[in-house]
Amino acid sequence: MIEQFKPVWQRWVGRRIPPASRIELNHRRIFILPTRVGGTYAFVLVLLLLVSINYQNSLAYGLTFLMVSVGLLAILHTYRNFTGLVLSASNARSVFVGEPVQLRLRLESISSGHHAIALGWDTEQLEQTDVGAHSQQEVALTLPAINRGWLRAPRLRVESVFPLGIFRAWSWLDLEQTVLIYPRPVPGSMPLLQGVQPHAEDDGQATRGEGVDDYQGLRPWQAGDSLRRMHWKAWSRGQGLMVKEFTDLSGHDLCLDFMALGGDIEERLSRLCYWVLELSQRQQPFALRLPGFLSAVDSGDAHREACLRQLALYGVRA
Amino acid sequence: MTLGNLAKPIPRVSLNWLLIAQALVIVPFSLHVPVSLIVLWLACTFWRIQIFRMRVRMPGTWVKSGLLVGTAGGIFLARGSLVGLDAGAALLIAAFILKMLEMQTRRDALVLIFLGFFCVAVGYLFEDALLWGLFTILPIVTLLAALIGLQQSGFASKPADTLLLSVKLLLQAVPLMLLLFLFFPRLDPLWSLPQPSNKALTGLSDSMAPGDVTELSKSAALVFRASFEGPVPPRNQQYWRALTLEQFDGRRWSQSSRAQVPDAPDWRRDGEKISYSVVMEPTGKPWLMTLDVGETDLAGVRQMSDFRSQRRRPIDQSILYTVNSWPDAVRETVLSDGARSQDLQLPAKVNPETREWAADLHRRYPKPEMLVEALLSNFTEQPFHYTLKPPALGPNSIDDFLFGSRSGFCAHYAGAMTFVLRAAGIPARVVAGYQGGELNPDGNYISVRQFDAHAWVEYWQAGIGWRSVDPTAAVAPARIEQGLEQALAADEDFLGDSPMSALRYRHLAWVNSIRLSWDNLNYGWQRWVLGYQGQQQLQVLGRWFSGFQAPVFAGGAVAILGLLALWVFKPWRRESDSQLRLFNAFERLLARHGLRRQQGEGAQAFAQRAALRFPAQAEAIEGFAREFEAQRYAGVSGSVGHLRRRLKYLRRSLPWRLSAVRDKPQ
Repeated sequence: MIEQFKPVWQRWVGRRIPPASRIELNHRRIFILPTRVGGTYAFVLVLLLLVSINYQNSLAYGLTFLMVSVGLLAILHTYRNFTGLVLSASNARSVFVGEPVQLRLRLESISSGHHAIALGWDTEQLEQTDVGAHSQQEVALTLPAINRGWLRAPRLRVESVFPLGIFRAWSWLDLEQTVLIYPRPVPGSMPLLQGVQPHAEDDGQATRGEGVDDYQGLRPWQAGDSLRRMHWKAWSRGQGLMVKEFTDLSGHDLCLDFMALGGDIEERLSRLCYWVLELSQRQQPFALRLPGFLSAVDSGDAHREACLRQLALYGVRA
Repeated sequence: MTLGNLAKPIPRVSLNWLLIAQALVIVPFSLHVPVSLIVLWLACTFWRIQIFRMRVRMPGTWVKSGLLVGTAGGIFLARGSLVGLDAGAALLIAAFILKMLEMQTRRDALVLIFLGFFCVAVGYLFEDALLWGLFTILPIVTLLAALIGLQQSGFASKPADTLLLSVKLLLQAVPLMLLLFLFFPRLDPLWSLPQPSNKALTGLSDSMAPGDVTELSKSAALVFRASFEGPVPPRNQQYWRALTLEQFDGRRWSQSSRAQVPDAPDWRRDGEKISYSVVMEPTGKPWLMTLDVGETDLAGVRQMSDFRSQRRRPIDQSILYTVNSWPDAVRETVLSDGARSQDLQLPAKVNPETREWAADLHRRYPKPEMLVEALLSNFTEQPFHYTLKPPALGPNSIDDFLFGSRSGFCAHYAGAMTFVLRAAGIPARVVAGYQGGELNPDGNYISVRQFDAHAWVEYWQAGIGWRSVDPTAAVAPARIEQGLEQALAADEDFLGDSPMSALRYRHLAWVNSIRLSWDNLNYGWQRWVLGYQGQQQLQVLGRWFSGFQAPVFAGGAVAILGLLALWVFKPWRRESDSQLRLFNAFERLLARHGLRRQQGEGAQAFAQRAALRFPAQAEAIEGFAREFEAQRYAGVSGSVGHLRRRLKYLRRSLPWRLSAVRDKPQ
């Protein structure tokens, strides 16, 4: 029954609270309903009223009406505590499939303080925080990364039952938070473009038997050499700082190729992802070839990000 | 609060407030529940605090069940039953106390808080005096503070803040509460419930031996207060009838069985009408006090055959009623045979001397009124003495009194006179009620107390009907004209058993004036607050807003809620909000011209971009942006109006309007 109306409800909320990166809670966006505790409160009020009527006791009537008034006032106070809170999304860091995404939200008070604000993706697990008057508060919420590509954060549930817990003010916000999720890196043999000789390092276990002879030997360390290539064993033997040298650091270009792999698309992307990370860590220039895409041979963080982005978005154009 | 939250432990602040609230809730009950419950409460509180300090563990299931059964058993032993209001209240308090012990989660705390509110309401059934009413504000405030303290917030962990917010909430709730109190229709009880009964009520009963009135005369407890619409009638006419005693067994006068049968007597209004309202304290008896012949329109009250007003249910709570009385009314010119024989009834054989004397009087004075005259002058002339400490009388009590001791008080005189009249063949009966009362000059009302209890006589004559006569007035006129204290001889101590009673210090002017003012305040409380039920409400509403109750109520509710909303939201303080709103309007304005602010673009950057796009309006755009940044971020205080004017200036300076841009975007 409820499931049936969910899409209708979501469309309605979508129209009523359109997505925005910065949202101030106001009367258009706040809903107020009694909580379960509020139901109990109402039940107690009915009991009190029955006592007052049956005993014709003016003081009991007075208490009943006082509590009715407090209950009504609680609506105003709950609303007051909630309204004027400004929520905005901070940038989120991309992660790989299977890792938790940390989504950072900024809560900002533009007038009075906001107490006991609960935030979360579903009503069962909410983070509680307070926002002082004219101040800001950062909250990090996590979301599991299940699929690669753009992860659009679901509508955020913000609520508060302050001060009495008998009414809940809540809203359902879309802060347009998106995070790019990279494929899960899976180790395996290096998928190289056919016709190009493999190049690899001594300790790349996946390349064993293929590129060991590329290892040239050791040479004395010079300023500017990567620490990764240091031959620590030689240093520990007292032979001084030595660097492992490979024949063709810039000889042939490595090209990671989508077509060189078997298996389904996700498996191939995972393997490519692993090698993008691996080669970037070794600071070895490489190119990435996907159907319909060929990157330049390059190294560095920007190159890595560009490649990962291509892998993440392969086939899921957004 | 989500369900997960309800299962969380109770914050310290809330627990503290709950412990205090519990003490405050229980105080008014301390005289109405078994003492063992108070001991239980102290023990449980100590235990709970030790649990909180991690010194002891929570009670196990067995301990809890044992406590529950033990407490219920204790209440059963102390009250003799587990039903009825007293036992019910004791059980409620016991549950309230024991719940504190087993309280672990927020849900338990909520149950305890709501139970506390309910206990406060039940407490009103036992104690509803002004001071107690004011006192209960304390438990209500602390219970509300405990409820706020259950919130998971930095705010709720500060005891002072929670208390302050709770006080603020209650203050804000008062206007709406008053409105509801005034207008909410008072319904008749939906079903009958056990009434509070453990008050040791003193007062008139349906039978009277002389000693009973002596007991009453020691009590200064209030019986009722009456306010007159016109002038207060003279004191010697204030005879408040409660009931008549028609059956004499030689020692006691009691109510006859005939008087129990509802049978409206025949009477005719005559003379001046006296209108007044009475607030009567609970008596546990069904009679209302009225002056003769009284008529009241209180629901469930009827006039009985002996002109007393009787309610169907006993008076268990103080009530307010209005009465019209006709003191000169002609009552029952024709007496039925049954009534006649009842009012001539005498026990066989006792008091032979009196019977003889009565027969002699009857021979000498054949007319009843002359015989009554003779009797009264006999009381005046013979050395009769008015005292609350009469000597004991033998089996022929009236003989002993009339011809022996000759000292007694109203009950002796009324009883003896009725006996003589009956023996002389004149139907007569004893009327029990109250006479006189203290006039409170502050409030122009009279207070009648137990020591004003009185008994007098009424006799019947064919064609004339019933006439009242008071033999005490002949013996001790001071009792009637001034009151008991003045009537007593110097050696008899007035209210000797209650040395603290302020009434004993009436001669000290300042004590008396404080006492009278306080009494007046309590009377107002009773009349206007406690007595604000059914009729009183209709009267008040009719007088103030005749015919406009519904619109006044609706308008009042809207006005109160509106004012409260203003008070809570303080819209005039929301300056920064208006700044944002104006900036949004600025954004919308430029968007209409095809320029949208990009995500993450600051106000200044956006304005610069806009200025490049609309060079002609660059000055206006940058002016607005500068003002906005200065007010919002640089902390420069400027009026919102200033910002609004700049926006208006920009809007005017932009060449085209919304419709133009939609049709031909540039």
